[in-house]
Amino acid sequence: MVYYLIICRSLTYAQKTAAALERAAITAHIMRSPKSIAGEGCSHAVKISQRRLADALVVLRRVGLPPSRVYITQGDGSYKEVELF
Amino acid sequence: MIYLDSAATTVQKPPGVAAAVSRAIRTMATPGRGGHQAAHLAAETAFRCRQEAAALFHVEDPEQVVFTFNATHGLNIAIRSLIKPGGRVLISGFEHNAVTRPLAALGAEIRTAAGPLFQPDRFLEELDSALVHWTPDAVICTHVSNVFGYVLPMDQVAGRCGARGIPLIVDASQSAGTLPVDLQGWGAAFVAMPGHKGLFGPQGTGLLLCSGESQPLLYGGTGSQSLLQEMPEFLPDRLEAGTQNIAGIAGLLEGLHYVRRTGTSRILARERKLMRRLVGALSSVPDAEIFAAASEQDQTGVLSLRLRGMDCETAGDQLARRHIAVRTGLHCAPLAHGSAGTLQSGTIRLSLSPFNTEQEIDLAVRAVSALQ
Repeated sequence: MVYYLIICRSLTYAQKTAAALERAAITAHIMRSPKSIAGEGCSHAVKISQRRLADALVVLRRVGLPPSRVYITQGDGSYKEVELF
Repeated sequence: MIYLDSAATTVQKPPGVAAAVSRAIRTMATPGRGGHQAAHLAAETAFRCRQEAAALFHVEDPEQVVFTFNATHGLNIAIRSLIKPGGRVLISGFEHNAVTRPLAALGAEIRTAAGPLFQPDRFLEELDSALVHWTPDAVICTHVSNVFGYVLPMDQVAGRCGARGIPLIVDASQSAGTLPVDLQGWGAAFVAMPGHKGLFGPQGTGLLLCSGESQPLLYGGTGSQSLLQEMPEFLPDRLEAGTQNIAGIAGLLEGLHYVRRTGTSRILARERKLMRRLVGALSSVPDAEIFAAASEQDQTGVLSLRLRGMDCETAGDQLARRHIAVRTGLHCAPLAHGSAGTLQSGTIRLSLSPFNTEQEIDLAVRAVSALQ
């Protein structure tokens, strides 16, 4: 299953992000970032379905929580960074 | 036991508090330290607690709500963040040792604005005088004196600090849960408070509300940016090194729920009603010297008194033997006693909670009368 991961600087930031998405009826799960994309060590990510990324980005920009990094799952289990405009 | 020591620790808590602590001990791990259910449950509890505190204390962002062990811990962070060794600070004359000892350790140049007890206008005059030709690195002011229940005029203090661009640290130890505490409205850099007094949480909990730049007091793991050897720049992680007291936070969340559900105005009204009864009854005790404000607005549910001819510690012991719990001595606030002229004697402090009853007040006063 293909999904997106919004990388967040902290657990609390991830919780704020997930809460904002849930308020907009976008299902969001918080998880620890996979090691390969965690950045400076441990971080947390918000997982959303492939279909909802565009909506999620609109919501997060509107509430002042624009993501800095977003990744999409690849068929081989790796992650590829998504370019955000 | 008739418990009249809620300014130290509230013992009578809303029933949900103990249940939440128990549940957390059995089911929760630590936020951010794992991807399992026990860690998620803890994370959710911590976040809800931040959200609840942010809503109650007018904090824009839950990230600005930092968990501490108590108010002293929060005040130490705030002081270390704003005042360098040898720096300048203006404080009220009613501060607790939680403020004055960290300042002494920093070798800070301390000036004090006090004025007579329960005379906020005179306090503000002294504050204004101190600021005429002198700019401190910060102003530190308690919202309510822990000894006398004296309500300092925080809106006006904040206004003066804001107008001069001086960072303000507020000690809300005695006001959180009773009076409106407003981080944004005051424009304060930091507001520190314990969880175990008016917020009805367990001991070992506290909150530091932050709007200014902060320096960590503790360094260690945060579950974020683990490759870096510096503490994260962002809150709350910057100030929350190590495992948090999640069982305490779960209890604090229940306490915050109670306060928000009940409303601080109702809690204060209840305490003031009991206070009127207490002051009225004690006024008829011949040898009691009561420190009560002329205007009810200037005092919360904390009352100090002295008994002529009786040492306050002796009185406290005798009351304890009659199962009346009060606090005696200097209450860790010699500066406040110095400002009020009670440094040599200390006082007997009776402090109320909304869970006290009229009958308890009457029995306590009867016990005080019997000490004569």
